[in-house]
Amino acid sequence: METSSSIVTRNLCRTFEVRRKSEGFLASLKGIFWPRSNFVRAVSGLDMEIQTGELVGFLGPNGAGKTTTLKMLSGLIFPTSGSISVLGFQPFQRDYEYLGRISLVMGQKQNLWWDLPPIETLAIHREIYNISQAEFRARLDELVEMLEIVDCLDIQARKLSLGQRMRCELAVALLHRPQILFLDEPTIGLDILMQKRVRAFLLNYHERFRPTILLTSHYMEDVIALVQRVIVINRGLKIYDGTLNELSKAARLEKILTVTFQSIPEGFSPLAFGKLIFQEGPRFQVKIPREKAAETASNLYSTGKVLDLTLEEAPIEEVLGELFAS
Amino acid sequence: MKNGLTFFPKGVHFFRVSMQLLKAYWQETLAYRGMVIIWGIHSIMVPFVLMFVWLAVERGSNSPYQDGDYILYYLAMPLVMNFIDCWTVFTFPEELREGYFNRQLLKPLHPIWGHVFEHIAAKAFQLLCLVPIVFSISWFMGDYLPDIDFSFRKIALLFFALLFAVVLRFVMNTTLAMTGFWIEHVETLNLVFNQAIWALLGGMVTPIETLPPIFRIVTDVLPYRYTLSFPIEILRGKISNGEIIIGFVVMVCWLFLFSLAGRALWRAGLRIYTAYGG
Repeated sequence: METSSSIVTRNLCRTFEVRRKSEGFLASLKGIFWPRSNFVRAVSGLDMEIQTGELVGFLGPNGAGKTTTLKMLSGLIFPTSGSISVLGFQPFQRDYEYLGRISLVMGQKQNLWWDLPPIETLAIHREIYNISQAEFRARLDELVEMLEIVDCLDIQARKLSLGQRMRCELAVALLHRPQILFLDEPTIGLDILMQKRVRAFLLNYHERFRPTILLTSHYMEDVIALVQRVIVINRGLKIYDGTLNELSKAARLEKILTVTFQSIPEGFSPLAFGKLIFQEGPRFQVKIPREKAAETASNLYSTGKVLDLTLEEAPIEEVLGELFAS
Repeated sequence: MKNGLTFFPKGVHFFRVSMQLLKAYWQETLAYRGMVIIWGIHSIMVPFVLMFVWLAVERGSNSPYQDGDYILYYLAMPLVMNFIDCWTVFTFPEELREGYFNRQLLKPLHPIWGHVFEHIAAKAFQLLCLVPIVFSISWFMGDYLPDIDFSFRKIALLFFALLFAVVLRFVMNTTLAMTGFWIEHVETLNLVFNQAIWALLGGMVTPIETLPPIFRIVTDVLPYRYTLSFPIEILRGKISNGEIIIGFVVMVCWLFLFSLAGRALWRAGLRIYTAYGG
């Protein structure tokens, strides 16, 4: 199957001026006459290329520049320098044709009219995006079924629960069937069950309509469940671009060994194997070098006193932590 | 098409978009009907207080306004104020601060249209409340009111004077609101440049014709008079044809200047917009 790039950025930069103010009355007074500010580079020379129909995770710690990048890609803010091309458009020109082909979901108060039921917001979007009545009905039925929001449509948005609101937000954002979908923390604040439902919906939606999706999330479950490719940025710089598996291999230097003994073998010291995470009676959890994992497990079994032993991959949050640290 | 400055959406569906937005804002207005009615009552109170003040102060003086003129002037004022009232200077900076502007900016429709339809819906509702009140008071005070002729020419002039006043006031306030890209609380600027000066030079505190001649030069040149006093002067019927023509010319000039300034601020503002907030 032939693919083409939907999103291309070259040497993309965005700098913000940040006002500084010291504590106290005199400092406030001084700040009026001699304001202090400095420039913070939120995004620094970002090169990125995303193929049509890809579902890409955009990861990084707080303040890494993820949301700023999404805002530049959607046309909300101008880049300081560099170039962006999304579907062949320069987003910051805000061509209406471009805006009709994208959607940005950022928080739960993005699209819904607070004082009106979601069905009214959907009707407004139908007109703004010039969707025919028959098409509107068909898409609405589809989204209502996939998102299970039939009971929420005629309730004032402010009276909906967080999960209901988020699903209605998604329905509004997807009504015009965008070719590009920017999702900024789509599951934030939701309970575990609701997170799972939103994830399942996104996977299903992507499978059916193949939009290009760029997703940011702090929940690694989102990333693991949804994406194959990840782009990791830190302090505005891209530090990784590849598959999730390769990322794990590249950064995951240690494994987590959990062992429970019938009785602790004489002379056993967890520190001889690696870093002790915790100890509860005869149960130990130790972080050990990846290459020594098999040998360590074998040695422990050979004592004949092991009741249970597991070897796990380190959580992906730690993997990213190590990546940022390096 | 550049920088989101296209004012009308492509194609012929703008009418349908307008109707849908008007319907939505009408429902929003009804959701806050109590607040809207209180604002309407407030817009009657101030002119009425001023009417009684001037009736007491000017009795027997050489003012060009007699009792009946004051009553007519301050009875017409709430209705004119209802038309020209504009709150983009409060709502637009708030949208910028709270991040709601983001959602407007991402739609293939100029964000200003939302404000336009919000104003139309709220004013239509306020008018429904105001008209019966003002007409009831007019009926009670009918003996004091001067005779007014309602010729087709006057009604047409009044219509266009009101229309221009509404548009000019909206463009003035919205241009000031655009400074919200740089200043967090534009409301304070509005207090200085719009409310206090407008109240005096627009003819709210006292009818323009009762001001000293030196003030008249200023009021004739600045836009304030034309957004409040001018339509009432036409209603009163004591304004010459020459003054009416000059009035419309001045309004068009200010409209042009403020539109240019607003457009420049909008373009520059979008360039520095940081889109903070959700």
